[in-house]
Amino acid sequence: MIKLENVTKTYKGEVVALRNASLEINRGEFVFLVGASGSGKSTFLRLINREEHPEQGKIYVAGKDIGALPSWKVPHLRRNIGSIFQDFKLLANKTVYENVAFALEVIGRPRHVVKTQVPAILELVGLGKKMSNFPNELSGGEQQRVSIARAFVNRPLILLADEPTGNLDPATSVGIMRLLDRINRTGTTVVMATHDRSIVDTMRRRVIELDRGSIIRDQSRGVYE
Amino acid sequence: MAIKIDYVARETASNLFRNVTLTLASVLTVVVSLTLFGSALLLREGVENANDRFKGGIEFIVYLQPTITEDQKASIERALDENPEVREATFVDQDATYEEFKRLFANSPQLVETVSPEILPPSFRVAPVTKDPAVVQALGDTFAAKPGVYEVVFAFEVVQRIQETFNKIGVRFLAAAVLLLVAAFMLIFNTIRVAMFARRREIEVMKLVGATNWFIRVPFIVEGIIQALLGAAVAVGFMTFLVRPFIDELSEDRVLPIFQGFVVTDANLLTTNLLVVGIAVAIGAIGSAVAVSRFLDV
Repeated sequence: MIKLENVTKTYKGEVVALRNASLEINRGEFVFLVGASGSGKSTFLRLINREEHPEQGKIYVAGKDIGALPSWKVPHLRRNIGSIFQDFKLLANKTVYENVAFALEVIGRPRHVVKTQVPAILELVGLGKKMSNFPNELSGGEQQRVSIARAFVNRPLILLADEPTGNLDPATSVGIMRLLDRINRTGTTVVMATHDRSIVDTMRRRVIELDRGSIIRDQSRGVYE
Repeated sequence: MAIKIDYVARETASNLFRNVTLTLASVLTVVVSLTLFGSALLLREGVENANDRFKGGIEFIVYLQPTITEDQKASIERALDENPEVREATFVDQDATYEEFKRLFANSPQLVETVSPEILPPSFRVAPVTKDPAVVQALGDTFAAKPGVYEVVFAFEVVQRIQETFNKIGVRFLAAAVLLLVAAFMLIFNTIRVAMFARRREIEVMKLVGATNWFIRVPFIVEGIIQALLGAAVAVGFMTFLVRPFIDELSEDRVLPIFQGFVVTDANLLTTNLLVVGIAVAIGAIGSAVAVSRFLDV
């Protein structure tokens, strides 16, 4: 599903974010990216989304070399990739329903699809009763559920999560991880960058550890360190 | 990919109102610049119309009394033919004068109705050998006193005076208009940039979920075009209801001899207005497109 071949990415030619990284992630896998801040986890995710370009090496997503993708096709790549973040990136002036509907509207989905899909996905993430609330009326965990609903409403092949529990307390984090696990079980490949030791140790999934841009460990059913 | 019209309309409307002061600044600049620009063009059209009868090297016109006798006319014609200073003299009869009158006063049908060919003066359109104003003046004056002559009108009196006036006014108008158009362009550019900055979170999410570039861009470009079009609409109103009546008034002022024809026809006004609207669309589209392409990368 995701394949990196000798990928190197530096910022301004000095800071090395990723050094000669090669790896393959299969369809339906759940992968944790661990490592200190600045070890290259976020860059890894941004490269898959083609928000960044590697200096060297090739990146394949769903069998396609995304470096060779013309820029007008990049949106179509991103429709197959859902993204969630530590800071949720919800729109404060839109309700829960509108935030999720927005993601479908801007890729041109017809209205009847929006009207059926959005309530269904919000029900799935457990926010069926909060559809007309605004983000600032929700707890952090609920906001992250909205952002997961938005990322998943289009049924992407891949879900990229950049420290999704970074702002949440442990109990709430467990709920979010259950949700991500459920999404993974539908066949969606999940790649999650995290600092959360207890989550990694409980879930026991594949762990890839980065250190200053290099992959220093790749372990199936791994632990945080 | 289909971009929904109601989506674009909603986004554009909310953008316009979010930024009322900046939008107004752009619109007003467009109004002033295009009004100046259009006025300069209308003035030039007026000059062209007024000078119509002096085309082809004609330096003066000998207008005859409508009641002139054949003998008197023949004697003037002979004098013109025999004069070595006259290169060419063309007779324009009353019917042709009436046609010309109808053309010049197409805007005042009431006036045309009160006129019939018999009361209009026939004329000789005279092209002298030289263009030296002193010589032309002396030449024309020799005909002014002849029996049956109503009036001699000189091109340098009419054409040159109009052209000098136009050059003074028109060139300054155009220069100011061009400067203001540049200002309008930059204001639209900046308004769109601010609008995009205000909506950067939305844009970020849109890119994230895979909205196409054009889907993100179109509402901003439409916003730029609408700002310019609002300005153009006001400018068109100004030109139709203020500038043109003013030009018409100038021609009725009797500062110039009869048939001055310093008028703007409906066709002139229409082309100028269309041009103004076209320029508005262009600066709105280009200003916003430049902003959008500079500040919206994939």
